[in-house]
Formats: sequence, C-alpha cells, structure tokens
Amino acid sequence: MKLRSAALRALAAAGAAWIAGTGLAQPLRAENAVAVESTPREVVERTVAQVIEVLKQKQLETPEKKERIQDIAYARFDFPTMSRLVLARSWKRFDAPQQKRFQAEFKTFLAKQYGARLLSYEQEQVELLGERAEPRGDVTVRTRIVGGDFAGADVDYRMRKGKDGEWRAIDVVIEGISLVSNYRDQFQSVVGKGGPEALLKELAKKNAEPDTKS
Amino acid sequence: MRRGAALGGTSAALALGLGAALLAAPRPAQAQEPEPAAAESEPPLDGPADAWAAVYDPWEGMNRGIFWFNERVDLYLLEPVARGWDFVAPDPVERALARFFDHLRFPIVFGNQLLQLKPIAAGSDVARFVVNTTVGVAGLFDPAEKIGLVEHDEDFGQTLGYWGVPPGPYFVIPLYGASSVRDATGLAADTFSTVYPWFSPFFVSFAVTGTDVLNDRSRALEQIAQERGSAIDFYAFVRNAHWSNRRAKVRDETEAEAPAETEDDLYYMDDAEEAAE
Repeated sequence: MKLRSAALRALAAAGAAWIAGTGLAQPLRAENAVAVESTPREVVERTVAQVIEVLKQKQLETPEKKERIQDIAYARFDFPTMSRLVLARSWKRFDAPQQKRFQAEFKTFLAKQYGARLLSYEQEQVELLGERAEPRGDVTVRTRIVGGDFAGADVDYRMRKGKDGEWRAIDVVIEGISLVSNYRDQFQSVVGKGGPEALLKELAKKNAEPDTKS
Repeated sequence: MRRGAALGGTSAALALGLGAALLAAPRPAQAQEPEPAAAESEPPLDGPADAWAAVYDPWEGMNRGIFWFNERVDLYLLEPVARGWDFVAPDPVERALARFFDHLRFPIVFGNQLLQLKPIAAGSDVARFVVNTTVGVAGLFDPAEKIGLVEHDEDFGQTLGYWGVPPGPYFVIPLYGASSVRDATGLAADTFSTVYPWFSPFFVSFAVTGTDVLNDRSRALEQIAQERGSAIDFYAFVRNAHWSNRRAKVRDETEAEAPAETEDDLYYMDDAEEAAE
C-alpha cells in the first residue's frame, strides 16, 4: 500500500509544498529592495517564515490570507521560467500572444489550485535540511515538513538567480515529485492532441470554476 | 512518513490510478493508439519523441483503459463506501487503523531492508516493532516514533531497484493502480511472503486487506477529490507522481547526492530559445 500511496503523497505534498512554496516568496517590492544578496537558503527560510506567519493569524479572513500568501508566492516564484520549463518543447508551438496568455493562465491556475489547499496546513512547521549545488548555478534547498498530517514529507525548492540578482524558485519537488515535471506531462498530452489553444482553453476553464472550499 | 494524512496507500493508488478517464477526454479504452507525441512534428531533441516525457509508458493506450476502469470502480464503489466509513469512524480510529496496517507490514519491510543491506534501519525497525506491539497496543499507536524510531518504507520493488533493476514500462494494474513491471513483480513477491495469511483462514486476509483499502481510501477523500478536480490530465498526473515518487524511494539513501540524469532536460531544455531572445 505504500506503493500506492505515491500519488496521494504527491498531492498532499503539493499542498504542503505550496505552503512552503509560497513560503519562498517575499511579499513587497520595497522589502525586496532592502534585501541585499540573500543566499537561496535565506530566501527559502524567510519566505517559509512569512507564510507560516500569515497562516497563524487567526483574525485574518480566509480571502485575505489567500491574497497575502499569493503575494508572497508571486514575488518568490519565477513564473516566466516555470512557464517555459513546463511547456518545454511545446513552448515553440505557442505564438507570442499565446505564450503571454499561457503565462497568465498558468500563474492563476497554480495560485487557485494551491491557495485553497494551503490554508488547511496550519499545523505544519518546516525544517531546513540543507542545500545542494546544481549544474549551471542553480541551488536546491531541501526542507522537511514537521508536524501535522504531512510530517516527514521532503520538500525541495529548486532556486535560480534572476537577472536582477534575486533568487526565485523555479520548481518544487515533493517526495520526489516535481511540479514542473508533473505539469509538463499533463500539458504535453493536451497540447499533443489539441494544440496550444486546447491547453489554454482547459486552463481558462479550470480558472473560471468557483473556488473549492476548505 | 507515510503517516501523512490522507496518503492512504491503497485508496490513493486506486483513485489515483484511475483518474485518467475524467480528464483524458473521450477516449476510453482505445488500446494501441499511436503515441500522440509521435504525431507531433517537432524535431526530436534526441532519441525517440517521447524520450523527454518523464515516464516510460509504451503501453499508454492500454494503461489509460485500465485507469479508466479503475476510476469507475472507485467512483461507483470504493469512494461511496469510503464516505460511509469516514462518516461513522472518528478520525482517531482511522489513524489508529492505518497505523495498525502499517505495523502488519513489518516483516516485509524488515526482509527488504536485509535484502538491501540496510542493517541499521532494519535494527531500528525491529526495536520499533517491539515497542509498538507492546506499548503501542498491537500497533494501534506509534510511541516508537516519539523515541526516534521512525518508520521506514521498503518493498521488493525497491529492493529490485536498489540492485539496479530498471522499472520497465509503466503499468496500471486493474483494481490496484499505478505500478511498473518491476514493481508489480515486487508486489507479487511481497504478497506471497506476507506471513499471516499462511496460517489464518482465507477470510481473515480478505477482511484485513479490505479494511485496509477502505480505511486508506476514506482518509484520502478530500485529497483525491481535489486532485481529480484540479488536474488537466489526471492520468498523466498520477503517472508522473507515482513514477517520480518511486524513483525517489529507490534512491532514498543517496538523496543528498546529485539527482537524476534527466534533470538537465527538465531544467534547461529551452536554453536555446532563451538565448534567441
């Protein structure tokens, strides 16, 4: 049965990841400007702390929590890069306007899918395990969820330094399951069958659905 | 580890196993359909057109068919029953049962730890088994974890992987879910070497397995519903998640080291375009 739990775990992980993931972010630009030459590890640490802080504030209404976490995530994930990596080879099949639309839809999609989930993870803490240098300057920061329902789940953030010198996450890997790789496989089958417009339509449809509760 | 919330194994597997049908458009069981990737006229980067997909799935047509079938079984049978179970059984009971079923797996985990030359983990699990059998009331509770004896998860599929056996093609097992040729073999071996069914009447193992599956599924209700709802292609989602997770499990002891060969593909494949801008 452990065998079978993989996918689930992935899911759960996705949720937890988002927490941590969002965690990567740092909200306001003003603040970012102040931060001088943070290491990837510091970025992850700070972002996780920020997200947990938001989750802990009991007086905040759910929509506001979501919004704040979203702001954090938007600042600390490199969505343009993620969009390309997710589409991979298919990226070239999208013309420029389609690429723009995809970036916007994908960003909304991630925020919507994970935003709601994250809110149920109030119990979690995140432990930093260390970091690992990757080829070509990327750094993977390894963390583990402590406490709560997902205790023990490994969550890795793949960080890349942007042209502005800021480190941002380009992937979240939960229990070995990469967000980029997973969506790449899903999107590939849609683009392969119906082309770019089919995928854009699917995403728009998902994004238009009412928020699930929880 | 796997105490993780709804990660209920079986349930997960099943549910996961099946979802394809949901989003995979109107193509139930058309086996042998040519790979969509092959139809794409993009120049292959290197190797076959599907080489850049993370999962080796040459039997996709058949697998999608089985996944679709499994998904129906889950939607119409397992999930409704699990909802009923979830309604009557308090969460602590569900958690205790899940721990109990994990506890029963000890002989399998232990055997595979030996086969993978992991004596330290194996020793820790023996102590864990003793503590949880006694203080933990036959495994219903997990006091061992509090004293640092954490749970490990091993099976014969991982053992084969440990010794270098590749996973082979992705394979969705009817009524079970995502697997691979290697892991299906491992599953058969593990099932065969599960001890208690050999000296108890057949209905005992039926009941145990049935309850395990049901309990797991009921713990995963929300997650599976969410993932089904949010996936663009649930089949591909489950396939990728399962495959990646298995790979990580086989590599557990080397986690801190350099990752997969394929990662260059994953993270840099559009360098060329970037430069062109």
